[in-house]
Amino acid sequence: MTRGCPSDLRLEAHLLDARASGLTAHLEGCAGCQARLHRMEAEGEHFRRFVFPATVDAVVDAARPARRTSWFAAFVPAAAVAGAGLLVFLSPAPPADYVGLKGDALGLTVFVGAPEGARAVADGASIPAASALRFQIRSSTPCRLWIVSVDAAGQVSRLYPPWGDEGAEVESARPLPGGAVLDGRPGPERVFAVCTAQPLSLHDLEAAGRAVASGGGDGVRRARQLDGLPDGALQASLLLEKVD
Amino acid sequence: MDHREAAARLYREYGPAVYRRCLRLLRDRDAAQDATQEVFVKLVQNMARLEGRGDALPWIYRVATNHCLNVSRNRGRHAEAELTPDLGSGSRPDVEVIHDRRLAHELLSRFDEGTQAVAVGILVDGMERDEVAATLGISRRTVSRKLGRFLAHTRKFLGRDET
Repeated sequence: MTRGCPSDLRLEAHLLDARASGLTAHLEGCAGCQARLHRMEAEGEHFRRFVFPATVDAVVDAARPARRTSWFAAFVPAAAVAGAGLLVFLSPAPPADYVGLKGDALGLTVFVGAPEGARAVADGASIPAASALRFQIRSSTPCRLWIVSVDAAGQVSRLYPPWGDEGAEVESARPLPGGAVLDGRPGPERVFAVCTAQPLSLHDLEAAGRAVASGGGDGVRRARQLDGLPDGALQASLLLEKVD
Repeated sequence: MDHREAAARLYREYGPAVYRRCLRLLRDRDAAQDATQEVFVKLVQNMARLEGRGDALPWIYRVATNHCLNVSRNRGRHAEAELTPDLGSGSRPDVEVIHDRRLAHELLSRFDEGTQAVAVGILVDGMERDEVAATLGISRRTVSRKLGRFLAHTRKFLGRDET
């Protein structure tokens, strides 16, 4: 930052209301501030995708005197048990029409936040476009897991793990910490879980995802798995239809 | 809108700003996530204080700053290399650059919360004194006084007091 550049607080105000900030002219001519804004937007996206879904229940619960059994809290005991090495499969059980589990080797359950609590969704389910998601995985063998999503616009989003470039080690069945929030844009979005014996780079996974998205909305709906992944890669996928 | 909806909306709107603030001060994503949640738990427990505020951002920013400075102070040695990388990185000519991060953290820890917030706001964030005053809810004169005190003690601590 140089003399004359706005403070972080003023940039925050700009991000909330660009027209009222009075910074547009400066920002258009200042490469340094543009870079700062870009970084801030990336951090904001990280918050929206990972921090918000992992913490919103605790925040919302604090706003009322009587605590409810929250979605987040419901995951904690199971996570602790799974962390201790026991094999559990978290309730609530998937619905009868749940088809997110593909094959015997890798299972994926997607939970959508709702006022009455989290519910597992079926393949092709219509859900609010800005839904908060959480995931549970079941693997027959230890492997390194990625969860990404692909939408009709060609956007490939990493959903889990939030950091790193080699996927997260998983064993057996476990609910995953954190979660993600969908982008609010209506249309199909397919969630892919990929688990490999050896680390798989996010770059390779994104390339496979973009190939799916090249078929547009229909391509996203049709693609049950990603092509071009290493032999032996375990996959599961689930289609979400985002609606207003 | 009930309390839960209001809290969720507040968190969705201002959460990114608080998260970024905490990330900048704590230099650790997990710590920033925890701190952001804690800040909003405080905020939503006092929602009435936000009602009627035309611009909630400065107040929320101040709460986040104070909270994260406290977290940093309580983290002990782990925070020493995390809070201070940017301290002194501003280009202001009247500010001595402090290269030793551990020393800078030790310096900050010698001051009260308000003085820390002033020093961080001006030396780290590059805020104007009026802006710091508005954010912290104190007068510009108080900002200048706290900053002057911080700089004077800092120079003295560093053995550079030439008076």
